[in-house]
Amino acid sequence: MKPPPKPLALGLWLGLLAGSLWIAGLRVFGLGLLGLEQRPIFNWNGFSLIGQFLLAIVHPATDSVFISIIAKATLTTLAFAICGTAFSLIIGLLAGILSSEVWWQTCCPGLIGRSIWRSGRGALAIPRAIHELIWGLLLLNILGLDPLVGVLAIAIPFGAITAKVFAEILDETPTAPLKALVNSGVRPDAAFLYGHLPQALPNLISYSFYRFECSLRAAAVLGVIGAGGLGYQIFLSLQSLRYEQLWTGFYALILLNGAVDLWSAQLRRQMGFVSRMDIGRQRRNTVKQPQNAAKQSQRTAKQPYAEQPHIDAEPIAIDANRSNLSRHPAWLKIRLPKQTFIRGSLVAIALSIPLCFAYLGLDWSRLDRAWILLQDLAKQVSPTQVLPEFSWALFPLAVQTVAMSVIAITLAGLGGVLFSFPAAQNFFLPGGLLRASGEARRWSIGHGLMIVARLVLLAARAIPAPILALVILYGMFPGIWPGAVALAIHNFGILGRLMAEVNENLPDGPVRALRSLGASSTSLIFYGILPANLSRFLAYGLYRWEVCLRETVIVGLVGAGGLGRLMTEQLSSFDYSGLAATITVFILLTIGVDFVSGWMRQAVR
Amino acid sequence: MAKSATDAAAEALALENVTCRFGSVVALDCVSLAIAPGERVALVGPSGAGKSTLLKLFNGSISPSSGQVSVLGQSLYRLSGRRRRQLQRQIGMVYQQHQLVSNLSVIHNVNAGHLGRWPLWKALWSLVWPQQVDVARQVLEQLGLADKLHARTERLSGGQQQRVALARVMVQNPKVVLADEPVASVDPARADDMMQQLCALTQRRRTLLVSLHTVRLAKAYCDRIVGLRRGHIVFDVPAASIDDQQLTELYNLCETTA
Repeated sequence: MKPPPKPLALGLWLGLLAGSLWIAGLRVFGLGLLGLEQRPIFNWNGFSLIGQFLLAIVHPATDSVFISIIAKATLTTLAFAICGTAFSLIIGLLAGILSSEVWWQTCCPGLIGRSIWRSGRGALAIPRAIHELIWGLLLLNILGLDPLVGVLAIAIPFGAITAKVFAEILDETPTAPLKALVNSGVRPDAAFLYGHLPQALPNLISYSFYRFECSLRAAAVLGVIGAGGLGYQIFLSLQSLRYEQLWTGFYALILLNGAVDLWSAQLRRQMGFVSRMDIGRQRRNTVKQPQNAAKQSQRTAKQPYAEQPHIDAEPIAIDANRSNLSRHPAWLKIRLPKQTFIRGSLVAIALSIPLCFAYLGLDWSRLDRAWILLQDLAKQVSPTQVLPEFSWALFPLAVQTVAMSVIAITLAGLGGVLFSFPAAQNFFLPGGLLRASGEARRWSIGHGLMIVARLVLLAARAIPAPILALVILYGMFPGIWPGAVALAIHNFGILGRLMAEVNENLPDGPVRALRSLGASSTSLIFYGILPANLSRFLAYGLYRWEVCLRETVIVGLVGAGGLGRLMTEQLSSFDYSGLAATITVFILLTIGVDFVSGWMRQAVR
Repeated sequence: MAKSATDAAAEALALENVTCRFGSVVALDCVSLAIAPGERVALVGPSGAGKSTLLKLFNGSISPSSGQVSVLGQSLYRLSGRRRRQLQRQIGMVYQQHQLVSNLSVIHNVNAGHLGRWPLWKALWSLVWPQQVDVARQVLEQLGLADKLHARTERLSGGQQQRVALARVMVQNPKVVLADEPVASVDPARADDMMQQLCALTQRRRTLLVSLHTVRLAKAYCDRIVGLRRGHIVFDVPAASIDDQQLTELYNLCETTA
């Protein structure tokens, strides 16, 4: 596919945005004058409730009984995340190897191997397209209320996603050592495990940490539908309008997410991986095989972490910059002997997995009973029953879903770019790119800005989107807007951090050159920083757009509209035929959005 | 603006007992140096001698651990904010790695030389609608790059990018030009071309301070040669009177002591 010109992609996005705003009730381009009625968006009567909610920020519930409930719930959420991640990594590794091109090329070269590889990749698309929340609700219907639901709801879709990414990593790892082994007479499978897997391991591990962070957020969301843990406690507190308790729960979530983020960042740094999403970067240092070049460009179009432009042209300069910044107050950096930290973490991981399984007390016997229900379900999704369920009534809902995602990601992207500057280490801190050099104060406004920006981003991504949507529903009428705003806040938290990392990886030479010829800080942003980073900001935004579309089902749960709402209704009325039809439409929609997003990502590169 | 100060000052660039430390490494150790306006000075010395550090001190990207640095009669590190930027725009720097913003087109990189003078609205508007295109075109014509005005900088060859970097300095129109090993990564013919461009750039009493590895170029294009070794100035002589003895000492001694 030929990359389209940039203006076309930009125009397309503006068109999508205008259309979405129009559907969401903001009549741009004066169409309101044509007599189309203006639906109200804000419910001003509910703002006092939002005020109460916000007031509770400063006085969360601190009675010992509730704190102990929350502590237990925190542990449950963590246990869900750990068990879910453990399963999804096992699934991901096995399915990832079996759906990687390099495995089949090595073990079974020829047409058969290639067709197995293709169908393996294709089969992974379906579990991946269905959001973990829908999996959770589906499993809840089949298995009943059991912790198993939460673990499997994370394991199945995340397993499929991990498998796809692992397969891509394996295929992008240079194959020369593997070929050398095979050519010297080593069995192909042994050669693969011995010569190929160890090379790919750092990237696989790096991605696994990222998956764990995602699992933690998913565990909180799944709690809302009854899987237990923090999400559930927060939901109960919100339903009984006890905002103080609600904020205790939020703080626990923020703390948990923050601790996991810090720990994983520290561990990745100590193990020598720079950024969690830079899996594709290393590949560019290696010699590309010509026959793979075309495929690689295809692949890079799909995953943004694999398409970051090669930026480590000047690692020394970046390192120098880092050491220049090592003027943080000591507590900002946890200093432990490197090996102790890594070993301790590995032991903790190894211990925590069996402990968490024991803690959750999964009831595996439910899987047997579920078999009968599954057979019943299979009858309902036969083509004769599903086909009549397709109707044009699904069309406006599909359009609403897309509109919600477009508005959400636009808001999230703008906020993310704005916050990525104070949240990055290399701008406002003493010695940073946007500071005059030669300052050597240990503390500055830059530190305060960075901490505040990072906390805001952390809170935005830690608080489950359906809870945000419920709060927003106090002040807005049900429809696209509350869902879009909730998703925007959530994705803002994620994008802001990713973009801050992009900023931190910026080669500083050109910016410092502009600085030293006397340019002001604002000019630096527009002449040095944004031109260098904008394409990656856009690539991340478009990638999150794909995710955001899938996430519309989360806010659909609480009545924010779109296909997600219909899905949750059909699930609660056990209407599996209808659900199958809705999910089919949804999968088609995600495929369409993935396609458009991939096409636009090529344009902005 | 800074003109009166320049005229009053006897020297364009001056170091007074400057020491520069990075952690435990001493890059410059109690160095004093004075360069008069209009002088062309070459800095020579082995790698790690402190040449880059010395240049960076003069353009304000690092500050000395102790001692005085003055540029055009003003102490760069005493100034802050606007005043400092006003001084910095009188100092142009050519880097070995060019340090261009590779995603921007050539015209914007050349126009970046105006950034110290342009108000913000003009800088932003120029990104949408390039300003002072004639100036940029004229400068690029001098350098033989007029046809690349709207090309993306990263698509140019290394030599072309270096000329874009030079064009940026020409547009900046500084009183002092600093060049950090500008010919380290080009072939001998290009090196001569580059040095000629730098000299052309520094006519009309502009000051040039250039760090070089090739002594031949230093002799051919500069008035004065300063030898730097392990953070100390070993010699400071007119280019015409330098002898081979001094040079072999400069490079040899370091090898034996390092």
